Amino acid sequence: MIEINNITYTYANNHLPAIAEFCAVFNKGEIAAVTGKNGCGKTTLSKLITGILRPSSGCILIDGENITGMSLFNIGQRIGYIWQNPNRQLFCPTVAEEIGFGLRNKGLTEANIMVETYRYLEMFRLSAKKEAHPLLLSLGEKQRLALAAVLSLGAPYLLLDEPTVGLDVRCRRLLGTELRKLAEQQNCGVIVISHEQDFVRRFCAREVVM
Amino acid sequence: MTLTNLDARIKLLMLVAVSSVALLVQRPLTLAAVLFLTLILLLLGGVDHFKVWRQTRAMISIIAGIFLIQCVFCRDGLPLITIGNMTLITTGGFQMAIIVALRLLIIVSSALIVLTGDLRDYLLALRWCRLPYEIVYMTLAALRFIPLLRDEATSINSAMQMRGYDFKSVKWKQRIKQYMAMMLPVTASALHRAVQMSIAMETRAFRCMPNRSQWRSLKFAHRDIIYVLIFFALLIAILLLLK
Ligand SMILES: Nc1ncnc2c1ncn2[C@@H]1O[C@H](COP(=O)(O)OP(=O)(O)OP(=O)(O)O)[C@@H](O)[C@H]1O
Ligand SMILES: [Mg+2]
Repeated sequence: MIEINNITYTYANNHLPAIAEFCAVFNKGEIAAVTGKNGCGKTTLSKLITGILRPSSGCILIDGENITGMSLFNIGQRIGYIWQNPNRQLFCPTVAEEIGFGLRNKGLTEANIMVETYRYLEMFRLSAKKEAHPLLLSLGEKQRLALAAVLSLGAPYLLLDEPTVGLDVRCRRLLGTELRKLAEQQNCGVIVISHEQDFVRRFCAREVVM
Repeated sequence: MTLTNLDARIKLLMLVAVSSVALLVQRPLTLAAVLFLTLILLLLGGVDHFKVWRQTRAMISIIAGIFLIQCVFCRDGLPLITIGNMTLITTGGFQMAIIVALRLLIIVSSALIVLTGDLRDYLLALRWCRLPYEIVYMTLAALRFIPLLRDEATSINSAMQMRGYDFKSVKWKQRIKQYMAMMLPVTASALHRAVQMSIAMETRAFRCMPNRSQWRSLKFAHRDIIYVLIFFALLIAILLLLK
């Protein structure tokens, strides 16, 4: 369970807080949506949950553990995070390596890394692009690659900031069913930030409006 | 009057004057007086002291380091501190160290005067010096890019850590390699963005006309003139009296 207790965050050069005294709870085994109008602080919230930004007040607990003082590495073991802008999380020279990066850090054997990489390349239909440079992909392909790279790590929670942007209809459905499978079969807690009403209605059990 | 409202051209002029004095003058007493003058300006200019302290904290330790190095490695003059029969610091070294430290402090504090203004005003000031607007605008764009690049580098760094790359546990050689790998996407996206931006600007008729009007404008006020006269009178007085 991810508990958000009364968090407030103000960006350094702003007067008003981007997010003020916000509380929410996200459960395991559930796909929850976070919605709200542009600039209401959804991305800020996601960065606070992942420890990329630290709240000015309030606290966030993951499975009862306070993330204040936890390193990004430790939080990353618990939450897989997709940035709103896929360019910001692709840094390897090829698509295949991008997926392999996290698997390698987990200490998998080369053979297993190959197997997993191929599985996710297939799943997100990137096999034909496996030698391409990630930054030269189309927007939707980048988004799919970011999803593949993060989902392959199997973190107990997933936090996706507008994952459906740029995805075609088929990929969107695929993402939805994949997330549902993760939630139902592996008891993964999924939080999706989205403006896509269809996607939210269809796949999310609960909607948190900011 | 506060420094923030002072005309940008005057601030640039003050920066040039003070830092050239700092570099040309050799006497510690004169340098100290000039430093005193710039500090007084900062103090009276309504600058946020905490902010100044935060901006200069790192610089001050660097200056202290340079001071020590100068002390120890410049060997002119009479012995000042000796340990056994080894001379540690000489009078010449000490004087040199003081001069260098004062110079650096003057340059840092005069830069702080400039930091009180809006970047755009300085570019207008350059424009006022008849620099072509393309160059001025490009300087602005380049300066605006720096924080964006830093942002991008930090978010790539965060993405790496969140995907299980532990910067703390790997050896420094590996770590440097990973930092280098990180620079590639940052540079690539910077280049990409620069190209896109230039296309976007040209589609919006940048450089279509020989001249470009400005929304902001700089106007000398009477108090600006008085301010600059007083400042230069004091500076010249220091230079003449402490010659
Ligand atoms: N780095 C930053 N520095 C200063 N202010 C920021 C920064 N990032 C966001 N903000 C401000 O914080 C507020 C919330 O931004 P945030 O990105 O969280 O919105 P959002 O809900 O994700 O919007 P969107 O639906 O457009 O993605 C906005 O008003 C924005 O201007
Ligand atoms: Mg957002």
